[in-house]
Amino acid sequence: MSLKPLPSLSFEHPYPPTKLMFSPPSLRRSSGGDLLASSGDFLRLWEVNEDSSSAEPVSVLNNSKTSEFCAPLTSFDWNDVEPKRLGTCSIDTTCTIWDVERSVVETQLIAHDKEVHDIAWGEARVFASVSADGSVRIFDLRDKEHSTIIYESPQPDTPLLRLAWNKQDLRCMATILMDSNKVVILDIRSPTMPVAELERHQGSVNAIAWAPQSCKHICSGGDDAQALIWELPTMAGPNGIDPLSVYSAGSEINQLQWSASLPDWIGIAFANKMQLLRV
Amino acid sequence: MVTGQNRTSVPENLKKQLAISIRSIQWSYAIFWSVSASQPGVLEWGDGYYNGDIKTRKTIQASEIKADQLGLRRSEQLRELFESLSIAESSSTGTAAGSQVSRRASAAALSPEDLADTEWYYLVCMSFVFKIGEGMPGRTFANGEPIWLCNAGTADSKVFSRSLLAKSASVNTVICFPFLGGVVEIGTTEHIAEDMNVIQCVKKSFLEAPDSNATILQPISSDYHIDNVLDPQHILEDEIYAPMFGTRPFQATSPSRTTNGFDPEHDQLAEDHDSFMAEGINSQVQSWQHMDDELSNCVHQSLNSSDCVSQTFAEAGARRGSCSARKGRVQRLGHVQEQQKNVKMLSFDPRNDDVHYQSVISTIFKTSHQLILGPQFRNCDKRSSFTRWKKPSPSSCGTASIVAPSQGMLKKIIFEVPRVHQKEKLMLDSPVAGDETANHAVSEKKRREKLNERFLILRSIIPSINKSDKVSILDDTIEYLQELERRVQELESCRESTDTETRGTITVKRKKPYDAGERTSANCTNNEIGYVKRTHVGEAEPAETGLTDIRIRSFGNEVVIELRCVWREGVLLEIMDVISNLNLDSHSVQSSTGDGLLCLTVSCKHKGSKIATPGMIKEALKRLHGYVEDILA
Repeated sequence: MSLKPLPSLSFEHPYPPTKLMFSPPSLRRSSGGDLLASSGDFLRLWEVNEDSSSAEPVSVLNNSKTSEFCAPLTSFDWNDVEPKRLGTCSIDTTCTIWDVERSVVETQLIAHDKEVHDIAWGEARVFASVSADGSVRIFDLRDKEHSTIIYESPQPDTPLLRLAWNKQDLRCMATILMDSNKVVILDIRSPTMPVAELERHQGSVNAIAWAPQSCKHICSGGDDAQALIWELPTMAGPNGIDPLSVYSAGSEINQLQWSASLPDWIGIAFANKMQLLRV
Repeated sequence: MVTGQNRTSVPENLKKQLAISIRSIQWSYAIFWSVSASQPGVLEWGDGYYNGDIKTRKTIQASEIKADQLGLRRSEQLRELFESLSIAESSSTGTAAGSQVSRRASAAALSPEDLADTEWYYLVCMSFVFKIGEGMPGRTFANGEPIWLCNAGTADSKVFSRSLLAKSASVNTVICFPFLGGVVEIGTTEHIAEDMNVIQCVKKSFLEAPDSNATILQPISSDYHIDNVLDPQHILEDEIYAPMFGTRPFQATSPSRTTNGFDPEHDQLAEDHDSFMAEGINSQVQSWQHMDDELSNCVHQSLNSSDCVSQTFAEAGARRGSCSARKGRVQRLGHVQEQQKNVKMLSFDPRNDDVHYQSVISTIFKTSHQLILGPQFRNCDKRSSFTRWKKPSPSSCGTASIVAPSQGMLKKIIFEVPRVHQKEKLMLDSPVAGDETANHAVSEKKRREKLNERFLILRSIIPSINKSDKVSILDDTIEYLQELERRVQELESCRESTDTETRGTITVKRKKPYDAGERTSANCTNNEIGYVKRTHVGEAEPAETGLTDIRIRSFGNEVVIELRCVWREGVLLEIMDVISNLNLDSHSVQSSTGDGLLCLTVSCKHKGSKIATPGMIKEALKRLHGYVEDILA
């Protein structure tokens, strides 16, 4: 297997993007190409056309009504079930839900007391977000007034940096805290009590990804340059949960993605390299 | 024979093990370089297995031959060829030698023209010897460390002496590692990046290979190995001997296999079977299922070759007659099929239990995916990038040693990059406050809401509050708290005096507290909390002790003492005595009595140097009344 970069597919992005994501496979477009979204100063959509010959900007989405600048976006997530729906989160404590087909804002919510760091869709109308105020909240678009806190960091105001919702088993979510080597696993049915805390990293955890094909496996990468694959048991042993397997990279692993279409492959990024690992 | 000598230092069954390991990782060849028995300090060809491309196939029943069979045979043939060539070379003259050579040459199944390039490379390798410390195998042996060579064809000949050969054979990657007292070299035509896992896999498969007693024999053209698989006898080759379900026990197989007057064919079968099983054991589920298919195919096929079936059963030790009616055969086949299933149940060897069990689990879960099967069964064949996690040794840092900067990249993405945008905005946008005030407004609003909520609660608790503005609520709360404090104090002192049961007025006084309480609270609104009692002399007295209340205020030299106590004869005098004993010069006294209570206000001055503190005064007065109590009791 070999990887080649396609120079024709590289494009300029005006600001450093905070996240990139392709549209989910459920989004069928008339033109046939793939949509790529990027967040940064604005939410931008790009189209990669079918023969992979070019990537063209499609639209720039600004959710601020008043100014020409919108609040910077820290992250976003594309809804698998309802693929025209995309949620962004921002440092102005709000989450904005977009309809990307019509390029309009569906709704905007004040989600937290502080900056929102990550957002993840669970279901067509339900999403969760984590914030610098240390809480994981679940929102339902049918009832925008209310949200449920399902976890708060034990030291108050420890920011939560990333969130991952297990698409195979919607009860489970994982989150990571700032400067912590723990991956906290939550069950949405029992708020505030984490199901498990996976504590075998020797440095802070930077990225987490659930396995796309199994509901009990999760992979995490951290500052200790290790990518660990864990299996969540139904009953945790007295000493905590040990990972199944480990991969040691050259330096701190900053990003990690588990391929949904090829579940045997995990991509990691460390230093200035990207590596594909076979599970 | 030349080969005989070499083989003494080679572990038994090495070829099989090499075969298994090299097939499991799908490389082209494996060679075991052993320390030469004949020449000291030298590594020479021990054994090898060739698994690469083959130019010709010179076997008869091509469709029935399995890769492993082919491989083993091919390796044998190559070795044979080498030997014949080397003998031809070494023997220079003599017709006898010449005829020997020609006989040998004809005996070899292969001739040089039949070889593919890689095969030729393998063959030529057989002629190499390496001094320990020289050449790749030599250096590996000397250092005890594996050597991984990529692009073997273009390597320097000092590094790899066979580099030209490798180039012509398109052997790309060669690795040597010390093992089993010698050096194992494996090579492939693909470019494989350095990965210690490969070496681990090879080593592991050596350990997992079955240790069978079969000797390696010369391959013969025809073979019955397919049918042989069905032979239950061979299944029971090893130490573990489990009776088949519903079958008669068979005789021990090893003696029968080797000592029985079998024709070489059958021995060949034995070997084939072993190796077949060996392959089955160490490969993945797919190969198990493959074997299943094969076995079922075999069953069908054997229907056609009736002789074989009956033959094998004849040897099964049950001594069934070889003449078998059709019906009998079918029965036996069914029997065999059952046994074939039982093949899976049996453990061939303790070492193979794990692998066998893995296949069982795989069929249950209908997947061979590593994650689902669990951590016990590592399939190095799958070339996973991950290795089994082990607890780090205590010496290595166990807890989170946060290397500065922790989560550097992630924090940059979340914190810094957005601020970059914001800074830009700040620079360009003059009414900056936009987002920030929005932020503040929101949080301010929440704070206010929280406060209002608390005030409402407070209002509902305090009974006396009428107005609802915050200041009044707080004021009323203060008053109420002080009132409650006083009441508590009085109640406590009440409790003390219940022990001394002298009051006739006790019950009467007991009722008073409530009135007093009400009255005092009613007076609260006057904001004259501290002075209420003084104006309602005789009415507000919940206490039953002698001394109900003392209040002492001092301004500079002046001291004002207010007290209330149970009246009795001479109590006033006693109090005045006490006061004067404390160096206080009283210049004004107000007293009134009612309901048996004396209310007294004394204004006095400190005289002299000794200043009596309010505490002292209180103590003295209390003592006085305590004393009084004793007297009365």
